Amino acid sequence: MIRGPRRWLFELGLGARMSVAGGRAGWFRLGLIAIGVGLGVAVLLGAATVPAAIAASNARTDARAIDNFDEDVVKGDDTLLVSRTGTTFGDYAFSGEMLQAEGSRPPLPPGVTRFPGPGEMVVSPELDRLMREPGNALLRERWDAEVIGVIGDEGLSGPAELFFYLGTDTLSAEDGDPRIEGFGDATIEQDVVPIFVLLTLVGMVVLLIPVMVFMASAVRFGDQSRDRRLAALRLVGADAAMTRRIAAGETLAGAVVGLLIGGLLWVGEILLANRYGTGALSFYLSDLRPVPLLVAVIVVGVPVVAVLVTLSAMRRVVVEPLGVTRMSVTVRRRLWWRLILPLVGLGLLWPLYQGIDGRSDYEAQVVAGMAFLLVGISLLLPWLVEAVVRRLGGGSPAWELAVRRLQFDSGTAVRSVSGIAVSVAGVLAMQGIVTGIESLYNGSGSASAVRYGMEILPGTDLPERTWTAALDSTPGVLEYQTVRMVRAGDDATLRIGSCPVLQQFARLGECRDGDVFALDGAAPGATYTLGESGSSWTSPATTRVVDSKSDVPASGATVLVTPSAISGVAVKPDNTYFYVALDPGAPQAVEHLRNTAVGLDLQAYVFSYANSTVRDALAGMRDALLVGSIALLFLIGASMIVNVAEQLRERRKVLAVLVAFGTRRRTLSGSVLYQVAIPVALGMILAVSVGTLLATILMVAVDAPLTVDWFGIGTTSAIAAIVVLGTTAAGLPALWRLTRPGNLRSE
Amino acid sequence: MADQPLLTADDVHLSFGETRALQGASLHVYGGEVLALMGPSGSGKSTLLHCLAGILTPESGSIRYGDRDMATMSDSDRSTLRRGEFGFVFQFGQLVPELTCQENVALPLRLAGAGRREAHRQAASWLDRLEVPDVAAKRPGQVSGGQGQRVAVARALVTRPKVIFADEPTGALDSLNGELVMKLFIAAAKETGAAVVLVTHEPRVAAYSDREAVVRDGRVREQEPAR
Repeated sequence: MIRGPRRWLFELGLGARMSVAGGRAGWFRLGLIAIGVGLGVAVLLGAATVPAAIAASNARTDARAIDNFDEDVVKGDDTLLVSRTGTTFGDYAFSGEMLQAEGSRPPLPPGVTRFPGPGEMVVSPELDRLMREPGNALLRERWDAEVIGVIGDEGLSGPAELFFYLGTDTLSAEDGDPRIEGFGDATIEQDVVPIFVLLTLVGMVVLLIPVMVFMASAVRFGDQSRDRRLAALRLVGADAAMTRRIAAGETLAGAVVGLLIGGLLWVGEILLANRYGTGALSFYLSDLRPVPLLVAVIVVGVPVVAVLVTLSAMRRVVVEPLGVTRMSVTVRRRLWWRLILPLVGLGLLWPLYQGIDGRSDYEAQVVAGMAFLLVGISLLLPWLVEAVVRRLGGGSPAWELAVRRLQFDSGTAVRSVSGIAVSVAGVLAMQGIVTGIESLYNGSGSASAVRYGMEILPGTDLPERTWTAALDSTPGVLEYQTVRMVRAGDDATLRIGSCPVLQQFARLGECRDGDVFALDGAAPGATYTLGESGSSWTSPATTRVVDSKSDVPASGATVLVTPSAISGVAVKPDNTYFYVALDPGAPQAVEHLRNTAVGLDLQAYVFSYANSTVRDALAGMRDALLVGSIALLFLIGASMIVNVAEQLRERRKVLAVLVAFGTRRRTLSGSVLYQVAIPVALGMILAVSVGTLLATILMVAVDAPLTVDWFGIGTTSAIAAIVVLGTTAAGLPALWRLTRPGNLRSE
Repeated sequence: MADQPLLTADDVHLSFGETRALQGASLHVYGGEVLALMGPSGSGKSTLLHCLAGILTPESGSIRYGDRDMATMSDSDRSTLRRGEFGFVFQFGQLVPELTCQENVALPLRLAGAGRREAHRQAASWLDRLEVPDVAAKRPGQVSGGQGQRVAVARALVTRPKVIFADEPTGALDSLNGELVMKLFIAAAKETGAAVVLVTHEPRVAAYSDREAVVRDGRVREQEPAR
């Protein structure tokens, strides 16, 4: 007789064999568990890969980093002057460095084999490819430079990075252009916008938590039929501990197959990430190696957690030789301990109400707070469903059968719905924050609201007439205006321009030359000392206080001045900006304008009010999130179908009796529908509440205007409704089969 | 007892795969009578009961309820018939576990369209009649086998059906409880005027019948004349 560990192994193996012994149904159950676990593993492995990939990518960008602030470097044979530059072409944003050698031995940036002289450039492979595309002639014309080489892998953040080094002779240390003697010797603080850090963190939590919840419910797929098999084993002599080990074996089989599936899915993930990564978010295949320690934790942890979930679920089940008893009905769910996690989550997130600007220590807090709040939903939902269905009464027989069934045992239904609720709450939180940020970008500064859609901020001191002459000859430019910016004391700015262009900044109402407008705290009658000229100017008493059009908080008081109102005062503007209206019928006009700007001044910044890069990125994020959640919801729907089918099978005796009594199929179908719909509806209510609360906190944190994401609520509710109807419809064939009157014979 | 049979099975054949369950079974059931179908295991008595109840459809032969041929009735019509005119008692009660006993008894009335309050009032009355008023608010899992079977009898009688089909109604009970259930069952059925078709292999249960029919090899071999 075998004993000890060998016996345990035998029992685990028996469990594994039993998991597929049930023919098609057994394989189906194993497949669902494995897919559920596999999806979770794929997401976990993906999460374990991200830190290593980012670290590898950052190591390369660190190696080419430039210390802009080291003023001790003395001009020499091995020094060079640098200046950061960048431009946009269509939806692509490029960044680069202008390089100017000061001697014969300038240092080479990583990945560059030949230093670009004036009129030469070295580009990343992706930029090279774009420049060679036949439709991109305007991009090729942007820099008056010949491409002399391609930057190697070691000099790029990833294969899709759009980066270049442009040789020049226009830089000057006297004008403040930094001098360096090497690359990569600066400690670069990654200048990441807090909003996007927050978005990334929220996105990760939103994706990971529902998957975890789904994994936890996936390993319990088909546990009722497993318990019946175990009861049969009890009949032939298995004791309670043996049945638990056999059950663990069944779960282990699913978890191990799930690990393999997860591994395969992860390979697909990294291939996709390598193939479709864009811009700074692209990685070489060699970057995409998960952190080994995290892999070990996943490989060991997932099966262990799966077994623990199974054993924990079996605590409420007594498997006896003559059948299975569930004890769920005897335990009333308590609320107090279920509130702990969400309240702790809220407590952690609450400080975000002060905003995240200037804070650097919020990441862990946000992740923990979000995770606690989302996991809290899966704890609160069983209580909520029980508390609500306990109070439900009366109604049609279908309703009554469903409500009583849920009062009797809501656990199975709630387990599936938890995944939906957590996922929807996460999506709403994410959608909320994305919508909030979008509205920042869609404010009154959007293209449709302004007359001059493009703004040029020169980077050098070229004469105004050089610019105006160039603009006059740029194809597609309909009209342009200049705005002279003048510092007025420590905390105010004068913007001097014509009425049409000043309308760009504020709601002026009627405007005539000679008018003055005050906004962002500026007051009529105030006296200002103007910039370098040092002359003094007092805004007239007739100055009208107006509202700013920008949603972005102002950095100080602003006075909008039409030329005649300041004509007698000597003014030397600190900057002159150009506001350009383009011909909407000339789609390439914007690229011609950018070419003009780059041709005159490589350091000029061309800003488009219609620039949709950020909006597109946010919209892409929304879409990806929505698609991900739809996929997850349908997956959860599939698990609900399994649960419904299993419950129907378990209740076939009762169903047969109900049919013998003449119960209409309509009644039974209605009962199935209500049994699915009630927990989903309650889950959605909880999810929408928590999701909206989370979104509100996050929107306040990033200082975005508060909005309710009706689109997200509508979409996810519609999907939930589809899942309910789909689950019910998919369960109906099993219902028809099980309620054929002839089935009563077997009873 | 009426002269015309309420239910008639005529030369009924039915097979399950290779197994011939009924091979020309013929039988009459008269209104208000208690008919015991007896026979060894596998003789076809439960199958015959299910055919008589319209749960199974014979491959050949006919089942007539009054002047209606059940073979030509749609599934929906047969469901309506079962809902309104037939009642059922099974070996293990087969109560709906999540409903209370009172709700279980009220269920056939509710399915037939009765209001909740009226259905529950009648259910309470039947539970009282079957001497289990105290289980009304309990779920089937919380009552004994004998109590559960009396609830099942109440459920079968609550619609005042014309025929009650009982398949081994005391098969899961001890003799004492079995006697009690049968006494209450038959007395209540007689009171309502319902005919009872009783499948059993226990002579002491069959003793409650007015007439016995023995089923062997899918045929009704012997029919005692009405007592």
